Amino acid sequence: MDHKVGVFICHCGGNISDVLDIEKIKESIGDVDVIEEYENLCSINGSKIIRDKIINENLDRVVIAACSPESHEKTFQEYVKPLNPYLMDMVNLREQCSWVHSQTSDSFNQKATDKAVNLINASIEKLKVSEAVDPILIQTTESAAVIGGGIAGMSAALSLAKQGIHVYLIEETPSIGGHMAKIGKVFSPVKIAEECGLCLLNPVLNEVVWNDNIEILTSSKLIKAERRAGSFNLLVEKKPRYVDTDKCISCGDCVEVCSQEIPNDWNDNLSYRKAIYKSFSQCYPDTYVIDIDNCDQCGDCKRTCRMNAISFRQESEMIPLEVGSVIVSTGHKLFNPDLRPEYGYSRYDDVITQSELGRILGVNGPTKGKLQCLSNGKVPKRVVMIQCVGSRDIKPDGHKYCSKVCCMVALKNANIIKHKYPDTDIVLCYTDIRTPGMFEKYFKHAQSDGVRLMRGRPGEVVKKDGNLIVRVEDTLTRKFKEIKSDMVVLSTAIEPSEGTKEVAKILNVSQTEDAFIKEPSPKIKPVMTDVRGVFVAGTAQNPKDITDSILQATASASKVSELINDGIDIEPFIATVDNELCDLCEECVKICKYKAASVKDEEIYIDPMTCSGCGKCIAVCPNNAVQINGNIEDKISATIKGILKGKKPGERRIIAFLDDVGYTSADNIGVNRLTYPESIHIIKVISVNRVLPKHIIYALENGADGIFIGEYPGDVMYDEVENKIDKIKGEISDNNIDPERLTFSKVYIPYFTGLARKFTEFDNRIAEIDELAK
Amino acid sequence: MVEKFREDSLDLEEYISHNIKSSKPKGLLKCVQCGMCTSVCPAAQHSNYNPRSMVECVLEGDTAVIEDEDIWYCFYCYTCHSICPADNSPCEVNQVLRQIAVDKGIADDHLIPFLGFGDSFLNHGIGGIPENFFPEMKEDIGDDWWDFKTHLDDVRNHLGLDPVFPSEEAIVEVSTILKSCGFEDRINKIRNHHKDED
Repeated sequence: MDHKVGVFICHCGGNISDVLDIEKIKESIGDVDVIEEYENLCSINGSKIIRDKIINENLDRVVIAACSPESHEKTFQEYVKPLNPYLMDMVNLREQCSWVHSQTSDSFNQKATDKAVNLINASIEKLKVSEAVDPILIQTTESAAVIGGGIAGMSAALSLAKQGIHVYLIEETPSIGGHMAKIGKVFSPVKIAEECGLCLLNPVLNEVVWNDNIEILTSSKLIKAERRAGSFNLLVEKKPRYVDTDKCISCGDCVEVCSQEIPNDWNDNLSYRKAIYKSFSQCYPDTYVIDIDNCDQCGDCKRTCRMNAISFRQESEMIPLEVGSVIVSTGHKLFNPDLRPEYGYSRYDDVITQSELGRILGVNGPTKGKLQCLSNGKVPKRVVMIQCVGSRDIKPDGHKYCSKVCCMVALKNANIIKHKYPDTDIVLCYTDIRTPGMFEKYFKHAQSDGVRLMRGRPGEVVKKDGNLIVRVEDTLTRKFKEIKSDMVVLSTAIEPSEGTKEVAKILNVSQTEDAFIKEPSPKIKPVMTDVRGVFVAGTAQNPKDITDSILQATASASKVSELINDGIDIEPFIATVDNELCDLCEECVKICKYKAASVKDEEIYIDPMTCSGCGKCIAVCPNNAVQINGNIEDKISATIKGILKGKKPGERRIIAFLDDVGYTSADNIGVNRLTYPESIHIIKVISVNRVLPKHIIYALENGADGIFIGEYPGDVMYDEVENKIDKIKGEISDNNIDPERLTFSKVYIPYFTGLARKFTEFDNRIAEIDELAK
Repeated sequence: MVEKFREDSLDLEEYISHNIKSSKPKGLLKCVQCGMCTSVCPAAQHSNYNPRSMVECVLEGDTAVIEDEDIWYCFYCYTCHSICPADNSPCEVNQVLRQIAVDKGIADDHLIPFLGFGDSFLNHGIGGIPENFFPEMKEDIGDDWWDFKTHLDDVRNHLGLDPVFPSEEAIVEVSTILKSCGFEDRINKIRNHHKDED
């Protein structure tokens, strides 16, 4: 059947048209019905051009040669309406052409222009065999789980609950409240005065507790998560408190009789608590809990309790939850100062962290708010603060990023000390003071309070004649200083908590190279993750202050609400089963590594959210009852054909098949303006498993010089594909082609530099093979 | 008075970056002048040597730093290298600066203490701590070190290893090479020039 094909080329405001010769592209592409170019196709005007042409020229296939589908596929699927969204295909001229093949001074990059033509031809060929398929719309369950009960989690839960959504707030420790409860005083964007953290937190905490839509699960941990249709099936383990929360009246008699003394982690281990304890007086649930690992089960507390609330026979409970969305607000932990031994944190009692200083200055802390040295109980005459401990630090275990809040934290604690103890000298050693926006006023306030600022990063803290000595160069006066001090306070970096890393793994959410939760686009999708229905809030995503955490929490709650009201669109390229042919042998259920197939009401049910379209089930079905929507195999063949069209002698064309992860990684190469050879032509595939030996051999026999296959090792099909490669290499040899022309590689989103290098190395290798073949 | 802004400030930086022997990614341009290097530098505590300010000069393209006598106080302990949070290596920058000074012929005096290393190559065929350092080292490290040093070949023999020094034949070969390439002449020239000045 003859199709009417339209090609629309976007300049992307010069991003594409500065490097690629658009005129030449228009002249060189194959026979199509319409070729248009425009400055910004994604604009409203762009949409008019596309729609008018489709209607006036009766186009039934549309190529959009612009940016990555990751940025604008949804936009253009909307713009081509009423054309079926899968009869539109995007050619990635920006991320995978103009951004990776640099501009040669003044003139266009000819090789990249040629490549652009090949990519557009590939898209045209692919569209010619494409069929209209309808996206699958899934409605999500009207409930959500918020993991982590700190300020971000509580704010998100409240916002959801007030929108009528049922929320499970899951907290690992025995009480909700998080870091904010123990900070003491907090800084605020517009006020010079520090406010009481707990006083700001309490109303939020109470509201969370009182709201009927919120179910709080403390001492609880996410163990397992499974994505099913419009919902997540979560398994939560609730650890026993050994104290019945309904009976306990919080009288505290049990604490009196407990003989165990354990460092109190809520006070950063600066004081002791009993084995039966309450984290802090305003905690929720407002009852005691037994730290069973440190309890000798003597039974004294049980005998003393007049409410008979204590029982050592309580056991862990497994709670299954079904929710539509998940918000990850699992927070941060602080950099371990022992990793910078030059500052002597473990060697000297009076070298402490800002967090510990926060506890010391807190009225509910170990010294009831009295500032004192831990070694001798005296008020320090001088306090030296050291910034950037573990932040902006490229050395092993350090973090390259700035932890964002430590300048304000240090200034806050310095001001509090100055107000209460004006005679204490404070020296703040900094690399750069970062107090953006309104915080600058607070910085000026600290200066006028007499806090001394020293621009220099101290190299070490030593003890001389009983005094702590901080060695630092005052880089502004260029003088090397040894500052005698009674107390040294380290501003340690913010890093992702263990919970953040664990939950990311369980939910299969990508992490950044620093192990924070990663958003698909930190610029324009700041609360999303790469798993639809999972959102992130607070310091689980990156270092931020309380205000920003609340902002992000409420934003993520809105996103959950959007999903509930609007549903989720799913790509329809999944398995379908012809029930007439199926005899319920369940071979597909057994073989599916994604666990997408199951038996439901005497029929095979394929879960659309779980099925990856890998096609493994097609091969095992004895009755040929399984099919994958959208004739992917034909499309791959057609795409290969298009890429190889018009290959000139001496030219090198390499085809790289990449899965979703590999494709995003390749986009990142462009976003970061790294380069690789123009010979690399990328084809995105739903699953690498769908690339068959016949595709590879067809490509190699018809002009492809090399085949690069990239797959994310976390994909459950990875091992299978890896094993298959050797077999395919054998088949290639049988066809008298050098098997070294096929390569298989692991791909990861953050390691785009590695992918760029591998592309270049493979291109060199193929050049050598070509040389030998001559 | 307004000081002239150097238009070509990165020339010196580029030269140094391309001559640095560090295998790690280079951090010279990433230096934020935090001064951590100076605060740990043992030479900075006892002299006017300041690694941070040396790097500052390099980044500003101030070639006067090549003639700065203070750069010769660094003794390559590499503490600055191991602590720099930006992955810069002031001591390696220092080495390149010294090489430039040597090449310009303005640093012969500073090479005198190193001549012993050259002698070691000429006389023993391998590099090693110059013998004139031994008495002081014996005092600093102790008799055990000296005992180990003098019996090293016995220990190596016991472990099935060859002697520390290469064969006479090899020594002659190395020293022939060093003589014919002008190495010995260069050493003698520096030494004699120094004596003449005395």
